[in-house]
Amino acid sequence: MGSLTTSLLIGVQALEASQAALTATSNNIANSNTPGYTREEAQFSESPLTVQNSAVAGGGVMLNGIESVRDELLNLQIQQQTSQQSSADTVSSSLQSVQTLFASNGSDIASAFSSLSSSLAALSANPTDSSTQQSVLTAGQNLAQAFNSTANGLTTSQSAADQQVTQTVAQINSLTKQIAQLNTQLSSTVMSQQNGGTVEDQRDQLVQQLSTLTGISVSQSSDGEVITTANGSPLVMGGQSYNLQTTTGANGFQQVLDANGNNITSNIQGGQLGGAIQVRDQIVPGLLTSLNTLASQFATAFNTAQKAGFDSTGAAGQAFFTVPANGAASGISVALTSGSQVAISSDGSAGSNGNVANLSAALTNALPSGQTPANTYANLVYQVGSAVSNASAQSTSLGQSILQLTNQQSSVSGVNIDEETTNLIRYQTAYEAAARVVSTIQALSTVTLDMGSTQSY
Amino acid sequence: MRVNSNMVPNILADLQQSQSSLNTYLQEVSTGKSVAVPSDNPIASAQMVQNTIETANVDQYSQNVTSVLSTVQSAGSALSSVVNSLTRAVSLGTEGANGTNSSANLQTLAQDVQGILTSVVAQANTSVEGNYIFGGTASTTTPYTADASSPSGYTYNGNSGSNSVAVGDSLSVQVNIPGSQIFSNASNNVLTSLANLVSALQSGNSSSISSATTALNSTIGYVSQQQEFYSNAESRLNAQETVLQQDTVTLSTQATNLIGVNEATAATELSQAETANSATLAAAAKVLPTTLLNYLSAPS
Repeated sequence: MGSLTTSLLIGVQALEASQAALTATSNNIANSNTPGYTREEAQFSESPLTVQNSAVAGGGVMLNGIESVRDELLNLQIQQQTSQQSSADTVSSSLQSVQTLFASNGSDIASAFSSLSSSLAALSANPTDSSTQQSVLTAGQNLAQAFNSTANGLTTSQSAADQQVTQTVAQINSLTKQIAQLNTQLSSTVMSQQNGGTVEDQRDQLVQQLSTLTGISVSQSSDGEVITTANGSPLVMGGQSYNLQTTTGANGFQQVLDANGNNITSNIQGGQLGGAIQVRDQIVPGLLTSLNTLASQFATAFNTAQKAGFDSTGAAGQAFFTVPANGAASGISVALTSGSQVAISSDGSAGSNGNVANLSAALTNALPSGQTPANTYANLVYQVGSAVSNASAQSTSLGQSILQLTNQQSSVSGVNIDEETTNLIRYQTAYEAAARVVSTIQALSTVTLDMGSTQSY
Repeated sequence: MRVNSNMVPNILADLQQSQSSLNTYLQEVSTGKSVAVPSDNPIASAQMVQNTIETANVDQYSQNVTSVLSTVQSAGSALSSVVNSLTRAVSLGTEGANGTNSSANLQTLAQDVQGILTSVVAQANTSVEGNYIFGGTASTTTPYTADASSPSGYTYNGNSGSNSVAVGDSLSVQVNIPGSQIFSNASNNVLTSLANLVSALQSGNSSSISSATTALNSTIGYVSQQQEFYSNAESRLNAQETVLQQDTVTLSTQATNLIGVNEATAATELSQAETANSATLAAAAKVLPTTLLNYLSAPS
């Protein structure tokens, strides 16, 4: 048989347990909208049985502590996909401004080719009209400018991506430092058997942010969490963080070095950093190369056609375009100064239009690259368009998947107000009942003490 | 399984989705284009490059046809009036050769034929918009000028070149024959034949008048052949104009197919997107504020 004191003890334990549960519930409600918050649950178990005079009695409730409910695997999946999405977003937003250069807007290369072509056709019908001659020169200048501004737009987006590399590396270093500090804090709380919930939430939140900046790999070791870049360069090992560094490379762009000074630029994938490097080192250089080839080969073909004829003064045709050997697209310009220098004539007489067909043919014949200027440019438009649309499509589909994973994560770790309200009522009732137990035992104790006494306690 | 009660991310994603499609359709309806930037449809954007160039070219080819047609027509009518003049000169020569004319009459006939020679030279010097059309490619030089040392009294200053004008991607039409071929050809020299008739009439020798008239008569057939060239060119240009009109329609249809918007479809999609958007908003407004707390009475 248990004593009244045992019952009193059980009642007090129950009060404490309900209080702890109420604390967890109120904390959950308070943090229901805190980003990264993981809901807490009070963990109860039965206390050991008491055996007295061969009678077995329950030992009451034991509060094992308050634990956060989290799913590490889901966190990892979300981190990975966030990296990929953030990379796709970076590519897509960097190229948004680039692709407007290739959109049909009247000052793009296609429009410029188009007006050069039609002005030559006009010249074919009116070879001696000076305004028609001038319009060919103007169309040539517009084409050169369209090449210049497209190439400059590409270079601008490349330098923007380069700046993004530097900024992102600085952000990564600041985050890894904070994560290392939290790791230290966490290992001491875990050692002292406290619930690491809040600190762990904060760390998960920072790791999540880190994954938007670059692709990472997260694992657990005896020292705490270990974070490396996707290719294995260390970022955080327990309480120690390793800074990435940047240095200007041979190509004039910032190279990313790991803590040991190894150049890991080409290995970085995912996140804003991966996206910016992809734009800067792969996509834009590819487009620039094609654009330069087009500008250079077209100008050469057009100049050859120009040199095959005679201008309005009867002089042999001079080169129409000036193209530098490097950076043809950004440096191309019109060498002629007057419409009368356009080599219209094939026989030297002013009225001949015989060479106009050669000039027009430079626009429609295949370049050494194997395709006509228009088709070469059309390919570029396709490349830019599909790069942007692939990146956006990837971002959209990853967004769907992340939403799904976040929902799963919320269903494990998120705060449900209805659930908390129900728990509030549940623990309120339990607390009230436990309080009633204590007051009943107190009343019984009074009665017991009063037994055989004239004095009332 | 525990249900995720936090509907905010889902609702936000749904709202963004429906707003984004609302924007897309709104832009389509207001611009009439389904492709504004290359990423909207990379393949169509690439194909539009060729279409843009082709459209401008076809437009210019049509203008070329119009402008060349006027040149060719002027040349044709110049030659037809040359043929008329030559026919008249032949009848004057026939009249001079019948042996009944007094010497004064013959001098008058000779003056008439000389007048015809002057008018034929004037036709040979026809210019359209400041360009001589019978000077070969030397269109800025007067083709025939007086030259006493030449048998016809005129010398040719043009050249033997000709121009072909682009009226299609792979079609150019030759638009002129040099005057040296039409008027002062070695075997059928119109101007010399006329000059020969003038001097025969002046000489009064019936047989030489007769042979000069015969020689002149054969040049009429020759000039008519050259005239044929211009009427052929004219009919080719007219045919090409029809082709170009069809090309314009084809190209603009292609452009509409590639980047255009079907107004009816776009308007329907816009109104569907509007409905979807307001439904999403209404659902969000209904669902978001609801918790168990709405149904519990406040603690007394």
